[in-house]
Formats: sequence, C-alpha cells, structure tokens
Amino acid sequence: MNFPILSATLFAPLVGALLIIVIPQEDVKTIRRIGTAFAFLTLILTTILWASVAQAGADEMQYSERYPWIPAFNIWYSLGIDGLSAPMFFLTALLTTLSLFYSAHTIETRVKEYYLLFLLLETGMLGVFLALDLVLFYVFWGIGLVPTFLLIGVWGGERREYTAIKSFLYILVGSVAMLLAILGVYFQTRTFEILEAAVAKPFAGNFTWASAAFWAFFVAFAIKISCFPFHTWLPDAHTEAPTAGSVIMAGISLKLGAYGLIRIALPLFPEPFHYFVVDVPIIPVMAIISIVYGALVCMAQWDLKRLVAYSSIAHMGYVTLGVCAAAAGIKELGTPEVLNAAASGLNGAAMQMFTHGIITGGMFFLVGIIYERAHTRDLKAFGGLATQTPYYYGITVVTGFALLGLPGLAGFWSEFFVFRGTVGFIPVAAFIGVLGVVFTAACVLWKIVQHLFLGTLDQERWGNLPDMEWWERVTMWPLVLIMVFLGFYPTPLLDSFNSAITALLQALP
Amino acid sequence: MVIGHWSFSLWLLSPELALLLAGLLILGLDAIHPHQEKKRWLPYVALAGLTGSLIATITLWGCNTRVLSVLFCDPFALVVKMIALVAMGIVVLASDAYIRTRSQHQDLPPVGRTEGGQGEFYALLLFSALAICLLGGATNMIMIFLALDFLSITSYILTGYLRDDRRSTEAAIKIFLYGATLSAMMLYGMSWFYGLTGSTDLNGIAAALRETENTMRPIILPALIFVMAGFAFKIGAVPFHQWAPDVYEGAPTPVTAFLSVGPMIGGFAVILRVLLTALPMDLVNLAMDWRTLLMAIATLTMTVGNLVALWQQNIKRLLAYSSIAQAGYMLIGVVAASPRGVTATLLYLIAYVLSNLGAFAAVIAFSNHTGSDAIEDYAGLSRRAPTLALALIICLLSLGGIPPTAGFIGKLYLFSAAIEKGLLWLAVVGVINSVISLAYYWKIIRAMYIAPPRTEETLRTSSTLTVALGVTVAGVLIVGAFPGPLLALIQAAARTFFG
Repeated sequence: MNFPILSATLFAPLVGALLIIVIPQEDVKTIRRIGTAFAFLTLILTTILWASVAQAGADEMQYSERYPWIPAFNIWYSLGIDGLSAPMFFLTALLTTLSLFYSAHTIETRVKEYYLLFLLLETGMLGVFLALDLVLFYVFWGIGLVPTFLLIGVWGGERREYTAIKSFLYILVGSVAMLLAILGVYFQTRTFEILEAAVAKPFAGNFTWASAAFWAFFVAFAIKISCFPFHTWLPDAHTEAPTAGSVIMAGISLKLGAYGLIRIALPLFPEPFHYFVVDVPIIPVMAIISIVYGALVCMAQWDLKRLVAYSSIAHMGYVTLGVCAAAAGIKELGTPEVLNAAASGLNGAAMQMFTHGIITGGMFFLVGIIYERAHTRDLKAFGGLATQTPYYYGITVVTGFALLGLPGLAGFWSEFFVFRGTVGFIPVAAFIGVLGVVFTAACVLWKIVQHLFLGTLDQERWGNLPDMEWWERVTMWPLVLIMVFLGFYPTPLLDSFNSAITALLQALP
Repeated sequence: MVIGHWSFSLWLLSPELALLLAGLLILGLDAIHPHQEKKRWLPYVALAGLTGSLIATITLWGCNTRVLSVLFCDPFALVVKMIALVAMGIVVLASDAYIRTRSQHQDLPPVGRTEGGQGEFYALLLFSALAICLLGGATNMIMIFLALDFLSITSYILTGYLRDDRRSTEAAIKIFLYGATLSAMMLYGMSWFYGLTGSTDLNGIAAALRETENTMRPIILPALIFVMAGFAFKIGAVPFHQWAPDVYEGAPTPVTAFLSVGPMIGGFAVILRVLLTALPMDLVNLAMDWRTLLMAIATLTMTVGNLVALWQQNIKRLLAYSSIAQAGYMLIGVVAASPRGVTATLLYLIAYVLSNLGAFAAVIAFSNHTGSDAIEDYAGLSRRAPTLALALIICLLSLGGIPPTAGFIGKLYLFSAAIEKGLLWLAVVGVINSVISLAYYWKIIRAMYIAPPRTEETLRTSSTLTVALGVTVAGVLIVGAFPGPLLALIQAAARTFFG
C-alpha cells in the first residue's frame, strides 16, 4: 500500500488543532507558531501534490484512497485529486497559511480558540476538494460550517452575532436540501461515489425528479456561491468577519459551492442543467443578475469592506456563467468546436475560482490593513493616501487592477475564457455580462483608487498613518506575485484545469 | 427436565437478575451504614451491577429464544438492554456529585430521608434499568404493561426526590397524574386487543388478526390509539408531551437526565416491538395502516417540540422540548417500518442517548457549581470552563445533526429510511426541523462562546462527571466517525422483526 499522502495532507491541520488543545491558553506564542507551522506544512504538501499531479497527468484521479467507511450503507472513505481539485487544494492551504501568519500579528483575544477553529476549518475545506463520495463530501462540507460562523461570532465586527446566526442558518438550509438529494441519488444509483453516479446519471429518464434533485444540489451550491437571489447573507458575513475570516470565506468557502457545481451538479445532472440553461434560461439569468447587480451595488458602497464583498457576488457570477456555457454545449460535445467552447467556459469558471481567491483574498487583507490603522472603512473619510502610504498604494493598485480584470494580471484570463465560452452559446448573456467588467473597473478606479489614494490628504487625521509593516508585506507579496505571474503566464494553471475539465466533459455524454 | 428448563431460563434472565441483586444490595448497604462517608461507594456498587448486567447481556448475544412465555431473548432485546445499561451507567456517573452535595449540605434541599437517601436513589436507578431491560424483551401485553408501569413508578419517585423542594414535588405530582391516566388508557386499549383476539401475546394477536373478519377490523384503530397513548407518554410525543417541560425543570437534574433517556429507550423498544410484531406489514394493508397515525404524530412532535424550544430561557426546559422533537425524528424510522427504518431508529436512539446525556452531564456540572439553569448564565462558559463548553457544544451539534457526530449519521439513516419508502415529504419535514433546532442550540453556543462572561471565576467539574462527559463525547465522536461496528450490531437487532 502506498503512503496515504492525501489523508496525511488533509488531516495535518487537524493534528495541529489537537496539539493546540493541549497547550495552555496563556502560551500565545507557541499556539501561533504551531498553528502557522501546521498550516505551512499543509501548504508544502499541497504544493508538492499539485506539482506531481500536473506531471503525472491531471486528467484523472491521482493518489486515490478508498476504504469502506460505513459498509452497511455503501459509504466509502474515498479521496482523489486531479487537475481540477489540485489548484483549489493548494489555494486553500495558501490562504490559510497567510491568514494564520497575518493573524499572528493582529489577533490578540482568545488566540487558542481562534487557531483551533481555523485549523479545523482548513481540514473541512480541504476535504471538500478531495472527497469522491457524496456523504464524505457532505461531512467535510458540514465540518467547516460551525468554525466559520464562530469565527464571525467571536472575532467579528459590531453586528457579528446577528450575522453569524443568519448566515449559518442560511447555508444550513442549502446543505440539508443537498443531503436529501444525495440520498435520492443513492436510491437511484445505489452508490454514493461521485464518479460512479456521474456514469449512472441518477433519475435519467425521469425529468421531474432529475430536476428536483438537480435544484436541491444547485440551491445548496448557489447559496454557498452567493448567486443572486441567494446572495443576501454574503455582504453581512464578509463585512462582519475578522480580516482572515473574510479572506477564507471569500477566497475559499465560495469556491466550495463552485467546485460542487462543476464536480457534482454538472456531471450528475447534465440534462436538467442543460434544460435550465438553454430551454428555460433561469441559471444564466441568475448569473447575469449576480454580475451586473453585484457590480452596481459594489459601486454604490462607501464601506470599503462591503464594496469588496459585493464585488465577490459579481465575480462569482462569472463562475456560474462559465459553467452555464459548458451546460449549454453539453448535447453536442462530439463536435470539436463545441467541446472547445464548452471547455473554455468551464476553464474560465475554474480559473476564476482560483484567481478570485487570490485577488479577493488579497483585497480583504488590504482592507484589514487599512482598518487596523484608521479604525474606519468609510471611503469618504480618506483621500491622498498615495503620498502617505506609497507601499500600500502600490500593492492595492496592483490588486485592484487584477480585480477589474486588467490584461497582464491574473483576473483577465478567467474572465476572458468565461466570455469566450459563453459567447458561442448564449451571446446575450456574454454581452450583458461584459457590462459587469465595466462597472467593476469603474468601481475600482473611482471608489478605491480615487477616494483612498488620490485627492488631498487630511493631514490632521492621517498625517501619522504608518505604511505597511513587514508582516503585512510578507502576507501580500505571495498573492501579488501569483497575480502577476498568472497574468503573464497562465499556462500552468490553465493546463491543470484544462486536462481535468476536458476529461470531465468527454465523460459526460 | 423442569429444573433444567428453569435454570436455562434463569440464565437468560441474568441481566435482569444482576440488576435486581445489585439494587437490593445497595438498599441493604444503605441501611447497614449510617455514616455518609461510607456511602460514597454506593454509586460504584451500582456501576458494578450495571457492568455485570452488561457482561451478562453480551454473553447472551446470539440467543433467540422465548423466556418464561412473556419475554423474548432476541438480538433486538439484547441491543435495547445494552443501550439502557450504558445509558444508566452514565446517569449514575453524572448523579454522584449532585447527590453527594445535596445529601451533605444543610442549606440545599435534602435528598430523600433527612439522614441521607443516597442508597434509594441508586437502587431506584437500577430498578429503572431493570424495567427497561424487561421492556426490551417483553412480547406480551401484560408484561409490557407491568414493565412500563414499573418504569413509571420509579420515575415518579425519582422526580420527587428533593423532598423539601417545592418544584420537585410539583413535578412529581404532575408526572404521576399524567402517567397514571395514560397508563389506565393504555391498559384499557390492551383489554380491547384481548377482547378482539383472545390473546395478550403479540404473536398471538397477529395470528388472530389475520383470521379476524373484516367487520371487526375498524375496532383495532381505537384500541391502538389507546395503547399508543401510553407509549407516546413515555417518549414524550405530541399530544402527550405536556408533562415533559415542567417535570424536566422541576426534577433533580440527574433525574431529568434519566427521564430524558430511560423512558425514551423503553418507549421506543415497545413501540417497535408491538407495532412490528402484533401489526406487521402484511397486516397493515389488511387490518389497519398505523403508519398514517404515526406520520401525523411524528410531524407534530418534531414541529411542536422544535418551535416551542425556540422561546425557552431555561436550559432544562429547552432540552425538554428538544427531547420531544428528537422523539419525533426517531418516529420517522418507525413509520418506515423497514429493516432500514428500525436500524435508523435504534442508531438515532443511541446517538440521542449519548448526546443528550452528555449535554445533561454538562448542565449538571454547571448547576452543581453555580446553582443556575438559565441559559444567560452560561455566558462566557468557554472561558470559565473551556473543556466543559467544548463537550457541551459537541453534544449540541450532535443533537442538531451536524457532521461528524453520531447525530449526523443517525439523521442520515432516518432520512434515508423515509426516502427509501417514498416518504420524501417526511424527510423534508425532518430536515427543516433540524435547521430550526440549530437555531436554539445556537442560542446556548452563542452564550458560551460569544457572550462575555459575567464573572471570571473558573468552574471545576467533579471527577465522576468528567468521566461521564468523556464517555459521552467520545461516544458521540466515535459513532460519528466509525459507525460501522455499531451498525452491524443494530442491523442484527433490526432483523429480529423481518425474518
């Protein structure tokens, strides 16, 4: 038997959490060190895994582990990693490591519980990207719920209690709908294995039930993605959460839903997905509204953190739109051009998952950095910071430009591929969707660049505002480097996604 | 021959006999030793009795025979006994500190007789365990009635155990009046069954019903409603649930812990046994479909329990309504009336017993120290007693069905049993209720983890309570992560009713 590298990576944060339990809570330094060290260890493991998956062939599941978990119910502890999950796996570990590193300098209260919850949350998120069994997927999906909302509830902003319970129950409703659908899939196909169920196509031939099961999954994922009209929990949650909590929620939690859409909803229910994209285009409409509405509301915000939160709604709309493109092309995947376009849309969606994680994760760090100093996020209060904090200005502008999809930075490619995929199938959606890019650009330039950095500096208030500290620079640099690197050379990421996604699409008919 | 037969029967009764002997021994020791200090060993005698009984139960595994014509020793009975014995063991562990402080401190309401009364307490717990063990195997209406009433009577006495505490006495009167009335109704219903079929044996009733003429069959419904009223009282199902909140609040907290699991185990054991033996599936279409009745009860019980729980400010009352709702979930498995359904009910019963006893152990630990059961007083518990708060949060999340806990696996099974039988709507009701339930479990979590503490004083938990908490939390997590071995055991029990 080979060394179970996936399990080892998956449970490394949990081991760290268990270690932290036995450290006395006064020993804050050791807790921070151990927490960050285990997150970093996980990061190294995920990096190695991604590299080796890319080398060995990203189109099929690697390092698979499969043990009976509940044999009486045909539930398996089944893990695997391919070109689709490997980058997300890496992203999870990266953002968690940076978050814990950053938190080591900013979180002063109840440090032990903070690190404990964060590491538990990391195991939950990593597990979602690895699970190949629907029940296992659900278990990992559920493990992350409570820590996330405790992070908001304990370390969050002023309205943290209300926000924590609201978003917790909101996401839970979606999750239990998914649980019922999972059981429905089992009684149809007698398997919980995602890949087997995708071959068996549950409820094929019974469109009503197939649609019901599809919508149960879709709503669960759409709530997590915060696709319109299921987005209302997100602005509160992302605004009230502590900085690192926002980074993780925007950077990874949202992607769990998007990943579910690509890994589960599309392969298991291609028929209903196609129907609700092409024949009754509810889902593209939801995606378009998310993009345009999200970007417009984003533009209307004066609270910097809320602004970034709304931009997430818009950007996750691109993900949904990209998946829609693939669903639209599902019937004629035999034709190379259609396959190409569908893969392009799905690649765009997957790349958006990754790049949005990097960019918005960075944005939330930057919001946290300014808030730590100024104790306000009101854009009207600022101005002229370009001269006062040039380092912060530079980093923020790069991240902001990546956010608006400037060519040469990471955000450009994902949007490019989404639109390239969409324009062939649902041109109207593509054209309206591009508006979102314009609004986001306006928002970044007008709100962030102009109001934060340009204009005259209020010497009295901000005359002593310090520039970025070393730990803040260390947190931001990896993200900025990835943005620039992927902007010029997206090939490693694209290849990884593309081989997995082409395989996924080819297996569909 | 006769002697051999009797000795064989006695061996089959060894779990019950061990409990009886241990109970009597405790009463004797209690009478002999006038000094309180010597009595600190009594709970350990009780634990030894329970352990002996558990070992006897395990050695009997595999047997499938009739005992004394009114009991059966089959896998189902044995699994019920195992659940009951483990549960009572945890109750004994959770009671020790509470009972000891109450019987030693003059300023607190004394327990039982003025000069002590610890012995009776543990003896009554053992006799309750005995009653539940008998319920697990009872296959005769008379035996069921006797064992249920036996369990009721011990519950009444235990509820009123704080002799000079008015709320405890009030609770005892309440549960007594309620229980006695519903007992009488149940007995009345049983007499109808006897009148209809000429038998009190469950298999005999089923056999007679198969031959009964159509005109007689409509009478089965009222008879069944009467009998079910008695059972519903035990599990706290709507509309016979009103006793629970007041009694839970008034009874001494360890007794509340017992009341939340003991009658539940016994009640579900007889519900499954009676319905699936006397009115099995082949009779359902022929005689009457009790599933419709139970679906209504299950839906109401889940919904009422969860909705009312939302407004509770006292943790014991909150857990009372939560227990009502939990009984509703478990009824889903009964309604499915399939091997998976029975498996689900038993699995969830185990998950519930572990999680609820864990929660109550935490509540006892808290009230031993602070004397309060108000949820708002739990503010900041995560800083005053981190381990206690962690244990309580795990148990509450298990009750709410969040993975990776026993409660999640239990709910997965319950909902799958419903969906397998085409009862998707019932599963939908179940999951909606699970979400509602998390709103009030969150209330406790919020108080413990988010609200600021009112005092910085740390809480200390007695060693026996720590063991009780450790056992339950470990159980909740182990069953949640590795349910395989337990499921194999339960599935064997479920097969008892399905050939």
